[in-house]
Amino acid sequence: MRGVLGAFRELDATVSAIEALKQKNVGLIRVYTPTPRHELEEAIAAPPSPVRRFTLIGGLLGVTFGYWIAIWVSDYWPLVVGGKPIASWVPYTIFGFEVMVLIGGLSTVAGLFISSRVPRLTMQVGYDARFSHGDYGIWVECAPEQARTAEDLLRQHGAVEVRRER
Amino acid sequence: MATVTKPVPSRDEPRRPNVASANLQLPAVRDYEQVDREISGTLRPTLFWFLGLGVAVFFLILGISAWMYQIYSGLGVAGYNPPVMWGVYIITFVFWIGIGHAGTLISAILYLFRAGFRTTIYRCAEAMTVFAVMTAALFPILHLGRPWKFFWLIPYPNWRYVWPQFKSPLVWDVFAILTYFTISSTFLYIGLIPDIAVLRDRENISPIRKQIFSMLSLGWRNTDSEWRHFARAYLFLAALSTPLVLSVHSVVSFDFAMALTPGWHTTIFPPYFVAGAIFSGMGMVFTIIIPLRKWWGLKHYVTINHLDAAAKLALFTSLIVGCAYMNEWFVAWFSGNEAEKSFFANRIWGQWWWASAILYTCNMVLPLSLFVQRLRRSAAWLFIISFTINIGMWFERFVIVVPSLSHEFEPWQWTSYRPTWVDYSILAGSFGWFAMWFLLFIKQLPVIAIAEVKEIVPPRLRTVHAHGIDPAGRHFEFEPDTPGEFA
Repeated sequence: MRGVLGAFRELDATVSAIEALKQKNVGLIRVYTPTPRHELEEAIAAPPSPVRRFTLIGGLLGVTFGYWIAIWVSDYWPLVVGGKPIASWVPYTIFGFEVMVLIGGLSTVAGLFISSRVPRLTMQVGYDARFSHGDYGIWVECAPEQARTAEDLLRQHGAVEVRRER
Repeated sequence: MATVTKPVPSRDEPRRPNVASANLQLPAVRDYEQVDREISGTLRPTLFWFLGLGVAVFFLILGISAWMYQIYSGLGVAGYNPPVMWGVYIITFVFWIGIGHAGTLISAILYLFRAGFRTTIYRCAEAMTVFAVMTAALFPILHLGRPWKFFWLIPYPNWRYVWPQFKSPLVWDVFAILTYFTISSTFLYIGLIPDIAVLRDRENISPIRKQIFSMLSLGWRNTDSEWRHFARAYLFLAALSTPLVLSVHSVVSFDFAMALTPGWHTTIFPPYFVAGAIFSGMGMVFTIIIPLRKWWGLKHYVTINHLDAAAKLALFTSLIVGCAYMNEWFVAWFSGNEAEKSFFANRIWGQWWWASAILYTCNMVLPLSLFVQRLRRSAAWLFIISFTINIGMWFERFVIVVPSLSHEFEPWQWTSYRPTWVDYSILAGSFGWFAMWFLLFIKQLPVIAIAEVKEIVPPRLRTVHAHGIDPAGRHFEFEPDTPGEFA
């Protein structure tokens, strides 16, 4: 992985650099921000996160498992309580709901980890500690012949530091 | 299309505190560096921290000693008096589960409602939730004669052929609480990841701490892609946690409401318990956050506006709880059920009048003071009220559990109940256990969400922003709502 890393002090400078880089189609862009900002989100215009699918599938699996285990256990060890059916779906809804939330929640976290590719063992290339404090950053992954253009664009839009990394 | 320009208020015009918008602003917080510096500063130990930890460990040792004595001597030392076989332990279990409710309410429900005042208090409340549920989980074990067989409580298919009865509220309770604990801890940890990355990237940090923070932050880099998935995951976790908050204490209330005992067998219990839980949790949030903001110099993060808004929520839940109490009296009278009427008379005017008086004073009468804005905006008064709420809510559970069991249908069963020193010691030990975990937490991890606070701090810009922010990202001159608040 090789490219150019630019560090910015101002949010609007970062936004204009992203727009310029996208317009010139220099390479793949990754933006660093200490906190999520709508301005950056709009400039990047990324597709919706797939995490919602993990939540939906996890929730559906959870509620199905919850009802199934309760019905199976009741059937396996039948005990009539208050003249009610062996497998009573009404009280089992509570259990189904709890398992839905549990599996749905854990699947959401799994979705976050898979989509964001964390845990990450190394973060040497294209990262600077200042991006978790106050500065913004843009990493442009590009071929060496395009690196010069990327550097110029980053500087032109107010980058306080630009460096090549690999 | 016509545009409407809002007139700019004159500088001389007196400003009334506008909580609706003011709770979104932190006028004394200028930039991201200040946020990092001041919130990470809470990780340095102070004299108050060491004192607090010492007191917490003392009470914990007291509780452990009493428990050892109880294991050695048997449950008889705990003050049970048949048929009152649920006493301080179950009361305290429900109390701590209730405390645990405000955390997820603040972090999840208020997040969905976009309530600005949650931003600076939710981390504290979430940690409180996790430690409160950890504390509550001890009590079913403390309640056992042979605690080493605690795993018999866990409903799973086993070799003893005693399989889970999924129609029992006690089984629902186990699953509800385990789910709540898992989701609350997950929610707390996920929210912490970006903040742990901030701590990891600090310059003056020991190599061991850096390594621990590197592992805990999972290699978080603050990329746009990570934030995009994070925001979505956080939203869904909040959406899943919201009905969970409502369900957990409803399920705890079913432990009582499914029984035919007078005072318990009522359909109002689930909403009554949920409102009570949130009310007690808000009380504990005040008990924790008010000293924290004072001793760690965080008054400009947890401003008086945040406390004011949180006090309104406490007042609202107090009114719901008060309504539920009155409904109980009405139903007892209107039902025409002699056992119910006799039980209620005994609860309010008879044997347990003193407990009921404490409950109604602390939960219904004193919180009405929060209608007064001046008192809502007084941190000292809120701190006092938070104690009375905690006391009142413990007595609410006492009044639910003990008077019902001591005054059931048959007069020959009517009895009394008096907790012993073992009960009181274990109750004190539970506070020590909770406080110890909380104090250890605030020394290792940020007690205010750094990344979320940065969201409401104006970013640094090259050009003048339209909303009263100069090119350096600083607010234009702003007067604090309460003189001296940011001093």
